[in-house]
Amino acid sequence: MELIVSLIMVPCVAALLMLVVRVDKARDVLCVASAAVIALLSIAFAVQNLGAGSLYFDLPMEYSHFLAVVNIVIDITVGLYIVCYSVKYRRVLPLVLAIGQILTTLWFEYNIQREVQFESQMHVDSLGIIMVLILGIVGTGICVYALGYMKDFQAHHPEQKDRRPWFFALMFAFLSAMYNVVLSDNLCWIYTAWEVTTLCSFLLIGFTKTEEAINNAFRQIVMNMLGGLAFQAAILWLGLQGESRLFSEFLKTAANVAVADPAAAGVFVLPVALLAFAGMTKAAQMPFHTWLLGAMVAPTPTSALLHSSTMVKAGCFLLIKLSPLFLVFPVASAMVVLIGGLTFCLASFMAISQSNAKRVLAYSTIANLGLIVACAGVGTPEAVWAAIFLVIFHAVAKSLLFLCVGTAEHHIGSRDIEDMDGLFERMPRLARFMMLGIMAMFVAPFGMLVSKWATLASFASSGEVLLLVLLAFGSAATFMFWGKWFGKLAGIAAHEQNVELSVHKSEWFALALMAVLTAGACICMPTLSNLFVQPYLVVTYGALGANISVDNMYIMSIIALAVVVMLFGTLDMSKSKKKTVPVYMAGITVDSDERLFRGSLGGEVKATSRNWYMNELFGEKVLDKPATIVTAVIMVVGLVASLAGSQVGAENFVGTSLAMYMPLATMNEGLLQTLLGIVLFAIAGPVVGCLLAGLDRKITARMQGRVGPPLLQPYYDVRKLIEKDDVSVNTVEGTYITFALVLTVIGGGVFVAGGNFLMCVFLITLSALFFIVAAYSSRSPYSEVGADRETLQVMAYEPTVLFVAVCMFLALGTFDVAGVANIGLPMIVVCIPAFLALMFVLTIKLRKSPFDLSYSHHAHQELVKGVTTEMSGRTLAKVEVMHWCETTLFLGWVAMFFIWDNPVSIVLAVAVAALAFFLEIFIDNNFARVKWQKCLKWAWIVALVCGLANTAWLVFALIA
Amino acid sequence: MSNVSKSPWVIHYDGSSCNGCDIEVLAALSPLYDAERFGVVNTGNPKHADILLVTGAVNAQNTEVLREIYDQMIEPKVVVACGICACSGGIFRDCYNVIGGVDQAIPVDVYAPGCAIRPETIIDAVVEGIGVLEEKRAKLAEARKGA
Repeated sequence: MELIVSLIMVPCVAALLMLVVRVDKARDVLCVASAAVIALLSIAFAVQNLGAGSLYFDLPMEYSHFLAVVNIVIDITVGLYIVCYSVKYRRVLPLVLAIGQILTTLWFEYNIQREVQFESQMHVDSLGIIMVLILGIVGTGICVYALGYMKDFQAHHPEQKDRRPWFFALMFAFLSAMYNVVLSDNLCWIYTAWEVTTLCSFLLIGFTKTEEAINNAFRQIVMNMLGGLAFQAAILWLGLQGESRLFSEFLKTAANVAVADPAAAGVFVLPVALLAFAGMTKAAQMPFHTWLLGAMVAPTPTSALLHSSTMVKAGCFLLIKLSPLFLVFPVASAMVVLIGGLTFCLASFMAISQSNAKRVLAYSTIANLGLIVACAGVGTPEAVWAAIFLVIFHAVAKSLLFLCVGTAEHHIGSRDIEDMDGLFERMPRLARFMMLGIMAMFVAPFGMLVSKWATLASFASSGEVLLLVLLAFGSAATFMFWGKWFGKLAGIAAHEQNVELSVHKSEWFALALMAVLTAGACICMPTLSNLFVQPYLVVTYGALGANISVDNMYIMSIIALAVVVMLFGTLDMSKSKKKTVPVYMAGITVDSDERLFRGSLGGEVKATSRNWYMNELFGEKVLDKPATIVTAVIMVVGLVASLAGSQVGAENFVGTSLAMYMPLATMNEGLLQTLLGIVLFAIAGPVVGCLLAGLDRKITARMQGRVGPPLLQPYYDVRKLIEKDDVSVNTVEGTYITFALVLTVIGGGVFVAGGNFLMCVFLITLSALFFIVAAYSSRSPYSEVGADRETLQVMAYEPTVLFVAVCMFLALGTFDVAGVANIGLPMIVVCIPAFLALMFVLTIKLRKSPFDLSYSHHAHQELVKGVTTEMSGRTLAKVEVMHWCETTLFLGWVAMFFIWDNPVSIVLAVAVAALAFFLEIFIDNNFARVKWQKCLKWAWIVALVCGLANTAWLVFALIA
Repeated sequence: MSNVSKSPWVIHYDGSSCNGCDIEVLAALSPLYDAERFGVVNTGNPKHADILLVTGAVNAQNTEVLREIYDQMIEPKVVVACGICACSGGIFRDCYNVIGGVDQAIPVDVYAPGCAIRPETIIDAVVEGIGVLEEKRAKLAEARKGA
């Protein structure tokens, strides 16, 4: 109990002290000290309450009245504060909202709350502990970071008055309010703290007092006060109906009544929807996403603390808490699920079109919050497991990224991604932190992707067809916008000057802390699941929610560790003895380091390249308006339907939300088995692939009326490449390619061992990323074009592959490949559309014409060879071997559709795979390369039509 | 015979040829002669190539270009001068702008005469070049062992 009080009070006191302290040194000491105390208290609190299940703490009754007064005073003060600001800046809407809020509070207190004893109860469960830890470690880490950042900020903005005491006071006050949100059980208290966070955010966004800042601050407050009003309305409604205003009580009663007597549960239909609405405004879901975008004008620590890792998580926290109710209140569930899913997909799309790093982070934050919201809305233990992990990983990885961008901004003078070109050398350590953060956001084996995997599995098991579609396309877009940024960072152009020597120690500390947390959380995922997430699910649902087997999590942990070691092991590139050669610019090199060459028109040209933004497809102009309108309509319909449901015919509005529920089976995922699979594939994959490549060349030659090379020609080529001189354009390219090859082999091993198909897909995607990054790292114009196109190709085929996985699960009841051997009929019988889609993207995956955009295996005479332009010798040999393995694996994916419990089916499967390969060769030789737009368009149309049709059909069949 | 000789990837550069030899080089790489039987592949990327086929003489304009391509190629590498102009400047050797054969710009390993060069000569020259390539590879391997 004392711990809880001190968790709330210490930041509060620190905030007050901050206001008083005006000397830099003293502030440093005070900030670090309070941060340390808060962090230690949080950890102590977590240790003390870990595994204790659901705990309630009561404050002594005699304080109850006093606390009620405090609560209402804070509440009114917040309202008045906003009123004052609205008057000062002449804003009508916030004024009206604030007055409305004050009046409601007063009326409520006077009429209803007066007779009721103010219940000052605190409630702690594992979810609360997770939030406390995030606040205590990530939150305070950001405060420490802010010390150095704000010094630079003040130096960069000399025209601004030094208002740092105010800034730090707000940061700590915010922490205090957040503790209150996650620990209180009384809805009135949660609401007050909720409004305090809104106000803190408002003041911090408006911190610089420029016109833009003020406008954005007001936009934030209007949107969040709408949510606040909804929250208040929910409390009011519960008060009027005489229901308990204890959150835990409310959750329990509503769930029980809805199950026991749907007709009587009408009382709860509206408050659930209202609270969900409040949570969604806070979590910046469309159509309220614009406040979070606008909030990016605030100093970066603010963006990190409030707008990515904590405040917006208050919304998620509320929704996750509500998720057991979403299982039984379908209207609210549908609203939350649709909004979350749409937000994820559309925000990911729009992130592609952004070049401002903070805006990319903002869109990605909105998207990830959307995913969390959608998971919460589905409400199954599996979905909630995924949601909680998304919260954890997002908090650490995103704050790492924000802090990195903040530091980069102060040292390179820009937050534009284009200006981060070559950061790998200019700010070596920072760039690697940033790369870690980015990887943690979107590829396996890192947390966000593993959580997304769990999300996909949970959506599939509850038959959420629409969500699956949104997830598939949104994830594909995610790969694009992170991949290209990642590539930009990885470029190594010249021996550039190191500009990170002047970064403050406090900033390094915070950055290192976030990096350690990000990596640590990924590596310790199984432990986190057992210690924190599962206990919450056991208490809430009486079920374990993990739908990724522990063995798979261990494999992911090991790979995560390896990637981290690789990333930071290559820190000092000067130590490498590798011979380097200049890049190829298809002209006369004048200065290779500067990428300066003389082209055919004479004159010196500097080779530069920019990322792809595809504004005409994914720009804000194209998507923002429809997105806002559609989501707004969904919200209005959801709220109106809930209101209607609370008045008439509640039994129609209460009941199970799930279309279906199919538990996930796992088989063949053991570590040993996977290891055997990897060994087997490491031998068989290249051998089969090599023979196929030889066959490919032989058949192609025959189609042209030639004899063609010997069957083993690809093998001779690779042997020759290995014998070539061992040089490359930089010292890291080879390492990336080795990683890509190893990951392909592991992915193939997982498949051969009959393991999880999704795991196999994600490993291949990671391998593709390393392949792409190797090309980007050369900073050579032709490689970069190839890398951009390869990224696009991944984006083009990713949805189809995910649909194949989903259809496989719906047909087999498991994502494990071994499942095909347990069914009476081959998968193809029910998965024809998915199979056709897979055949379509096979051309892209095998890089065959007409979709050999990134580089071609056949068109050798091509002037430049895309991704592989700068690769030579051993590196190129590895690429070739990787391609063999990929060919074998992808044909394995095709064959998988034709296997059933009859061993003879293997013959059929092999025959079909061979046929598919011949078909690919035929297509390759008969179609000309198309533009990338066509590749993307057709791949997505095929994925959408086939994927949607097949999943919908399977789900329908399962329900019927 | 090592793997180098089984997989000679060529790259073709036209110096200032009258196009006669270029046509023959491409003809030698066409399906009719099916050079891929011997593992010959025409690459467009110097980093991937083992044998550089140059046609035409060098002049002030293209010396550096040729040198760039040569420098980009990874050891072991071989240069074949295809046609008499590439060998010595041919009938253009006295032109004011012509410097001379390819060996004025980069080291040449095999000289293949002809005006225009015949595909059979090109194939012969490449086979000859493979021998040189083999020697260079052996030297490189030794140097590697020594290092």
